[in-house]
Amino acid sequence: MSETDLIGQFLANAAGTTAAVETVKRDPEALNEALLRIAGDGPIFFACAEDVDPRLFYRFGQNQRVLTEPSVDEMKTIRTGVTDAFCGIASTGSICVSIGRELTGPASSLTRKHIAVLNAKAIVPRPRDVFSEEILEGKGLHRSFSIITGPSATADMGPLVRGVHGPGKLHIIVLV
Amino acid sequence: MSERLLNDIHPREVANKSMKESLRKAIGMALRIESDALRLNTQTFNTNRYTAVGKLDDYEDLKDRAREIKESSIQKLPELIERLTRSVEARGGKVFLARTKEEATSYVRNVCRSFDAKLVVKAKSITSEEIGLNHVLQDAGIEVAETDLAEFILQVSKEQPSHIVAPAIHRSRERISKLFKEHFETAKPLDTGEQLTEFARDILREKFLAAEIGITGANLVSADEGTILLVESEGNIRLTTQLPAVHIAIAGIEKIIPSRKDFGTFIELLAASGTGQPLSSYTNILEPPLDLPVLNLNGRKDTRREFHLVLLDNGRMKMREDPDLKEALYCVRCSACMNVCATFQAVGGHAFGGECYTGGIGGAWTVGTSGSLAEGRFAELCTGCTRCVPNCPVRIDIPRLNSVIKNRLMKSEGGPSLEKRFFGNFSSMAKVASLAPALSNWINSLSPSRALLEKFAGVDRRRSVPPFAKVTLAREYDKYRKKNAPLAATDPNARKLVLFADVFTNYQNVQVGMATIRVFEKLGFPVTLSNVMEDGRSALSQGLLESARRSAARLAVYLKRLIDGGADILVAEPSVLGMFRLDYAKLLDSPDVSSVLRAHTFDPLEWLNSSAERNPQFIRRLEQKIKTGATQPEIFYHAHCQLKTIGAGDAATRFFRKLGLSVKTSDVECCGMAGSFGYKKEFYDISKNIGRDLARQIEKSIRSNASLRILASGTSCREQIHDELSRRVEHPVEFIDEML
Repeated sequence: MSETDLIGQFLANAAGTTAAVETVKRDPEALNEALLRIAGDGPIFFACAEDVDPRLFYRFGQNQRVLTEPSVDEMKTIRTGVTDAFCGIASTGSICVSIGRELTGPASSLTRKHIAVLNAKAIVPRPRDVFSEEILEGKGLHRSFSIITGPSATADMGPLVRGVHGPGKLHIIVLV
Repeated sequence: MSERLLNDIHPREVANKSMKESLRKAIGMALRIESDALRLNTQTFNTNRYTAVGKLDDYEDLKDRAREIKESSIQKLPELIERLTRSVEARGGKVFLARTKEEATSYVRNVCRSFDAKLVVKAKSITSEEIGLNHVLQDAGIEVAETDLAEFILQVSKEQPSHIVAPAIHRSRERISKLFKEHFETAKPLDTGEQLTEFARDILREKFLAAEIGITGANLVSADEGTILLVESEGNIRLTTQLPAVHIAIAGIEKIIPSRKDFGTFIELLAASGTGQPLSSYTNILEPPLDLPVLNLNGRKDTRREFHLVLLDNGRMKMREDPDLKEALYCVRCSACMNVCATFQAVGGHAFGGECYTGGIGGAWTVGTSGSLAEGRFAELCTGCTRCVPNCPVRIDIPRLNSVIKNRLMKSEGGPSLEKRFFGNFSSMAKVASLAPALSNWINSLSPSRALLEKFAGVDRRRSVPPFAKVTLAREYDKYRKKNAPLAATDPNARKLVLFADVFTNYQNVQVGMATIRVFEKLGFPVTLSNVMEDGRSALSQGLLESARRSAARLAVYLKRLIDGGADILVAEPSVLGMFRLDYAKLLDSPDVSSVLRAHTFDPLEWLNSSAERNPQFIRRLEQKIKTGATQPEIFYHAHCQLKTIGAGDAATRFFRKLGLSVKTSDVECCGMAGSFGYKKEFYDISKNIGRDLARQIEKSIRSNASLRILASGTSCREQIHDELSRRVEHPVEFIDEML
């Protein structure tokens, strides 16, 4: 499958999970504009595991509202998180977000809105491809991470409700 | 009215099914209170599963691979435990191998105490239910907050899980709303799904921020890396594993597989088979203790993360040594077997389940982990319909596990009851009854004899017992042959056809047998009739395994001879065909013989449809022959459960559609009669509950066409539908016979 096909499939399937997904030019200004637009008001919890080139976040990181090391109290209340994702999965519209030294884990799980930035070149065809030494330098075999497929959801209270313990809104930016 | 009064019995009181009475009460409670929510929710999962696995283009290969990995992992389990221990310890984690539930709970309690923990957040874990962890911690003064919303509901209602993936599946939104309003003093509205979710989320968020320790289960654990797989949709597992500095994971030893590379095989299968999604919202792959800095949102000053892996034996090693129960260890706890099960859809895991394990697979798990055969009594609710078999991602023969439990239970309780002997020896009974069918049928219809039959053999008196034919199929066939000389084969190279004279067709459904012979001969395919022989179906359904094995061995020799002589065997009764195609592989000692039988036995419609697919001329010839009258008849076809399992469930539909007929089909998995199941007094209400579900679908079609023809291949399906609708129900061959 060509890279363009993979991106197309990824975008369609991610939208199918009710994530909001869009492509953005690989450029600090463009990314900054998109992140601030999607994030809306209030402080932003930003964590990058360097799976997407950190230089692309340079403009965004300068913003006063962006917190890379929020205090305990800020972490308890902050509503928007921005992280990078090291992999996208075309067949399911999922993203893979690391859980490691950088705070990508909490930024993508404590918040109500999670914005993930994914490199278009890091999209693989199927979930099983994440577990391969040959793909993405075997990243999927050597770290802790979550494969995130759409927003947090439950049907335990009867109807399907989005937004439970994890973010009820998931936005994915695919850098092209 | 309070929940207690409304339910009149609390599910917990009857969770343990050691006593027959508990099973009976649980069935009554579930049918009265829980059935509607259960049916809606399980059928939604079931429909979604079919869609999701339909999108996996290598579904069958994935299942083979998953089975292979699980089989070999259980085989080398002791070695994997050692490898896993080394991997976790190398990263600074601790591993504790608990032989019993007491060892496991006391280890967890000690870890909690060593951290002076007051509050533990816990993600859904059936294994922790198995060991009764919450009680132990609470008795030690430690608060346990269940963070999965379904488990949160159960903590309030004090019920046991009714399903392994969706533990509160038995509760409708209305019943959750009522429960919360009674339990919580709050001004917040508690009516809609959103309101209930937000309310529970806010309570639990406070718990997450304050907890000192997080406890999870594990879907799988990889030995070489010490990686754990945790699948969820709410995000509570992510918080449980990231917020507190201490993470305790409790995993049954059967969850260990060699390498995390193998997770790739399981994650798509698990999500598709369980909730019917391509993937659940969060598939967490964790190498604890995590590199993530300690967050200390709880105000503590913990300096490093700690990880404890509690590996639980609690009967599993013994299951591994048990040639039959061992198979249950391959289970990946996806719940497909529950969602697809007609009985489970009607009564759920509070009746079809024990203290924590539920559904068809729950019997073996309950027996294995409790060490008590009697606690697995709910295995009696498995009708043997086999719908779980092709839907299990690791190909576990769940009905077989339940037959084994029924068999062992029967022996432990002093041999077969009169009821089991009655239902399990249909052949002998039929032989005697058919000596004077008129007399037998008359006696059967009398109310005193029905009362006796109910009292001593457990046959519910509200069921009409199918009458015995005045003349058996064997004799009817002889008469037919006297008038109709054997047909010469048009193709001398074609295999001969022999209709197997199974006991149901021979003694009760003679018209079906004769219609099969006439249809095939009218179409130019000569058919002869086999000897009448017992196949073992009725014995197997009662757990009379030795008797089933004896019948299978005798019959296999006979059928193999026919097949070696160039014959293909037609079987009009699907449950008997199911024996040849599925069960004989396990009942016979010789895999060669069972594979020959599997390849050369056919449902009549399956055979006709595949002939039509090979040879389109055949359909054109048939179209010229059929007499449908002025208006084309419209058909409602209910496919027999075992026909579906062997892949012949849609043959009749495809065949009739090739003839240009309009066919509607049911989507119920099984009619609920399931051989003898629906005749039994103790299960009559479940059977009727399932039968109503099927009848509703047929009634809907009848409303738009009053002259709808109702077709079903199974004798018990026909009985069940007739009992509900009082309308004629035919075998598809009878319908074709009439058209020709």
